[in-house]
Amino acid sequence: MAEKTIQIEIKRQSGPDASSTWEKFEIPWKPGMNVISAMMEIAANPVNASGQETTPIAYDSNCLEEICGSCAMVINGKARMACSALVDKLEQPIRVQPLTKFPVVRDLAVDRSVLFENLKAVQAWVPVDGTYDLGSGPRVFPQQQEVAYPLSNCISCCCCMEVCPQFNDATGFVGAATIAQVKLFNSHPSGKVLKEERLRALAGDGGVQECGFAQNCVQACPKQLPLTEAISDITRDVTLQVAKDFLRA
Amino acid sequence: MAAPKIIVVGGGLAGLAAVIKIAEAGGNVDLFSIVPVKRSHSVCAQGGINAAKDLKGEGDTTWKHFDDTIYGGDFLANQTPVKAMCEAAPAIIDLLDRMGVPFNRTPEGLLDFRRFGGTLYQRTAFAGATTGQQLLYALDEQVRRHESEGKVKKYEGWEFLSAVLDSNGVARGICAMNLRTMEVTTFAADAIIIATGGIGAIFGKSTNSVVCTGSAQAALYQQGAYYANGEFIQVHPTAIPGEDKLRLMSESARGEGGRVWVPRTVGDKRAAKAIPETERWYFLEEWYPKYGNLVPRDVATRAIHKVVYEHGLGIDGQPMVYLDLTHIDRATLNRKLEGILEIYQKFVGDDPREVPMKIFPGMHYTMGGLWVDFNQMTNIPGVFAAGEAEYQYHGANRLGANSLMSCIYGGFQTGPNAIAYAKALKAAPGDGGHAQELARQNDLNKQLVSSSGKENPFRIWRELGETMTKNVTVIRHNKNIQQADEKIVELMERYRNINLSDKSQWANTSFAFTRQLYNMLQISRVVAQGARLRDESRGAHYKPEFPDRNDEKFLKTTKASFAPDANEPRFEFEAVDTQHIPPRPRRYDAAS
Amino acid sequence: MATAARPDASQTSNPVGRGVEPLRAGKGNSFLLRKLHSLSGIVPIGAFLIEHLLSNFEALKGPLAYAEQVKFLNSLPLVRFLEVGLIFIPLAYHALYGVYIAMRGKANVIYYPWSGNWMYMMQRWTGYIAFVYIIQHVVRQRFMGVSLPEHPGAAFHKVQMELSNPWMLAVYVIAMIAVCWHFSYGIWLFAAKWGITPGANARRRFGYLCAVLGVVLAVMGLASIYAFVGPNYKNAPADVMPAQTMLYAPSSPGASLS
Repeated sequence: MAEKTIQIEIKRQSGPDASSTWEKFEIPWKPGMNVISAMMEIAANPVNASGQETTPIAYDSNCLEEICGSCAMVINGKARMACSALVDKLEQPIRVQPLTKFPVVRDLAVDRSVLFENLKAVQAWVPVDGTYDLGSGPRVFPQQQEVAYPLSNCISCCCCMEVCPQFNDATGFVGAATIAQVKLFNSHPSGKVLKEERLRALAGDGGVQECGFAQNCVQACPKQLPLTEAISDITRDVTLQVAKDFLRA
Repeated sequence: MAAPKIIVVGGGLAGLAAVIKIAEAGGNVDLFSIVPVKRSHSVCAQGGINAAKDLKGEGDTTWKHFDDTIYGGDFLANQTPVKAMCEAAPAIIDLLDRMGVPFNRTPEGLLDFRRFGGTLYQRTAFAGATTGQQLLYALDEQVRRHESEGKVKKYEGWEFLSAVLDSNGVARGICAMNLRTMEVTTFAADAIIIATGGIGAIFGKSTNSVVCTGSAQAALYQQGAYYANGEFIQVHPTAIPGEDKLRLMSESARGEGGRVWVPRTVGDKRAAKAIPETERWYFLEEWYPKYGNLVPRDVATRAIHKVVYEHGLGIDGQPMVYLDLTHIDRATLNRKLEGILEIYQKFVGDDPREVPMKIFPGMHYTMGGLWVDFNQMTNIPGVFAAGEAEYQYHGANRLGANSLMSCIYGGFQTGPNAIAYAKALKAAPGDGGHAQELARQNDLNKQLVSSSGKENPFRIWRELGETMTKNVTVIRHNKNIQQADEKIVELMERYRNINLSDKSQWANTSFAFTRQLYNMLQISRVVAQGARLRDESRGAHYKPEFPDRNDEKFLKTTKASFAPDANEPRFEFEAVDTQHIPPRPRRYDAAS
Repeated sequence: MATAARPDASQTSNPVGRGVEPLRAGKGNSFLLRKLHSLSGIVPIGAFLIEHLLSNFEALKGPLAYAEQVKFLNSLPLVRFLEVGLIFIPLAYHALYGVYIAMRGKANVIYYPWSGNWMYMMQRWTGYIAFVYIIQHVVRQRFMGVSLPEHPGAAFHKVQMELSNPWMLAVYVIAMIAVCWHFSYGIWLFAAKWGITPGANARRRFGYLCAVLGVVLAVMGLASIYAFVGPNYKNAPADVMPAQTMLYAPSSPGASLS
């Protein structure tokens, strides 16, 4: 009896400066398989479709339940999380390649540290006085929480940046994720203290102005963050801040 | 005088909490993590975090929180640190709130609390169904702030290999491997804090993340640290089996009327909906007519295990049972359970409103861990531990929503303790053991690269996971545990014949994994043998041969130490601190 | 207090130090340039476009009415100054900076064929069309042939001659649609990006409004084109105001270009 198999093609690259090649695999199908489990299968039996021994695929992953943000890849042309990419719902051969806008470390693993640098640049935190006991936090009404919570769900997967036509080497655009975090912290009762600094940061080169409003970010976001709304709100705030600074200069 | 230099290994809640305290105290921190710290396993926690703030007018107190925790842990936890944690909890919630965690709110703008397992009080603060993620982000943001001020240096993409110990056995730093260049380096520090989480990976598939291998704890155990209560492993009754991992399915599915069943006939191949009512076995309802599907977690877990492994009635011969919601109308389901049903739909591909969910108990939490004193220091001077990696807050069973608190509280304690220790530390003799440790680790790497057997590390790992899950989780028979231990010894033997299909020295993930695998095998023996020795049933540890708790013999902490010559664990037992609450029988079915 | 026994070996080489650079927080002036580009598209260029389309609409009333309109416009005070300051300079800026913006984007509708992404690409393509079209339009209609400020009566005939070439007619029709598209989607983008319509619903509703505006403008524009090529005013005289005296001497530097 012929065993049911799946066809998967993976773009491989042994290092940042190496050239890339596509390698085909045929692996046994199992119910409920996702792209990650296909790669686990390859690791346990590293043989490609032509029967040659090969190496396990290098890729980033951790939680495998779409909350850590590690395993973003381009699967059949779309940036998405590999853990929630179910094999049975994908057209075969499944073509998997690394995110295209980030430097490849190896195979499917890429370096997304630019996002964390951007979060530093906009001071995406609440500057608490200290971690000693200072009593209750500020009152926050449920309506405010309902605005903050979705923004705080960003898993830093960088899909919004990958799909953005404006996020590239030429623009150095900061990307939707960081802008959403600015909205989050600017709306927090005490995070607000850094509001003006964050807005000025976002008026720098690569800031909010680079958005072309293609709205791919909001379509691609695996956590459905209201990204375009955040960009709208923050661009307005940045514009007002710049105008204010100009008039007061 | 230079500021003390502390190394924190692990960037989850406990590690980040420690980093913040050290940075605040003017210490100098290097933070090591395999993954970017924002991707740590703490993000997976859903339900909430416990603190007796009593904002619901129920008369909750920190003492009651303390009592629930000790009782829930079947009296195995040392009471002094647990009491201190419960007392500190309300202020920690306030702090997290000040850091911007988007906790759910009451109409008055105060923190909202809900009820969780093992208590009668609404004591659990929560941020939607992603509390762990929100807490981790809050701490991550504070650490990023300290990082941008130059107080913290992050080493993300580095794997801890071992502690650097001087000739007196005092920690002087760590040896770590860069997961891109594969270069091994030692880093000097006056104290090190291990906050590397649980050991789910030894069970193959668990609800844990990929990095939760326990490799760091196992490495330290092999360097002389005690590993305590390793046999206490929490298994959650309803997880979604997956090809790659197990994902949690919240208890609320059963709370809303979900029914657990299997086909009555072994090997019934029909689709669930094609099986008539008379040929379905609602075993929980049959065995526990009073509680039905809502028996406590450990009971439900044991029942499901029994049906699958003893009766052989798992769906399609697989370790799975049905959790059926299809008899409830869609509108109700969407109103009350939409979030979790979408998780199932996303990862399994079936609509649980139409098709019964396939679930199975999943290894979920490591109650045991590195032995620490009340200052969170292991028996190796200068090596501290915090969070799930250490053993001290949950005894024999962890209550829901206590883990997030124990991680943060543990980290907050450990940071200042490490600084105090470092300030009193005398200079190291010689080079502090750095050259020797570096050479040892490089030798290990060389051996691995030059090994030319035919064993695939991932297949050894699969076998380890299957063995551990089958024999050392829910229902434990000494005979089976013994077999599991023998199997692990066999796997360790085969490990010597390992074949790395990838011998390159750049971002070689299978190389790093293979190094972890050895440590996983070592710690698996600690878990298995610890379970073998404990001839009683307590909390998550259940032996049908010894169904009762035996306080006389086993109200004791299990302490495993590594015997290098025999290459196996040695065990000793330590009395438990029960000075505040005298042990009493743990019976959730009786009104107490 | 112990001292570090070994030098910190953290500075291991990391060859993966490339990729999109992080935000240059607070640095540079691209924000101002970009906002100026965005604003100039609405005011004055958008306002001028509407004026231009309304003026063209006069052509439907015939060559004389059209000439009157041209004459009226050229009679505005400081008209040459307005022409340079409010039309030529902003238009040149919007065009050149717009090309710069468009060239830096990397359209990806092949992979992500979502409506917003299509509109993003269309905005760039209509911009390129407008860029090329407007250059030839200004050169041929404003600075070549009969100078209309001095001879407003010749306006209808000049345009009619231009459109008598079917290729030119096609260019005008395509450009008319492209420009109206670019402008109306530009208004929508302006509202979205300046935070006037942050909500998804507001954006959708405003989108309908902009679409209606775009269609109205395009229909008006096409109707005026029809006025020149349709049967009503065939073979219009070369100048319907031969006796027209010049109201304004072409002495300003802007006009001397002609």
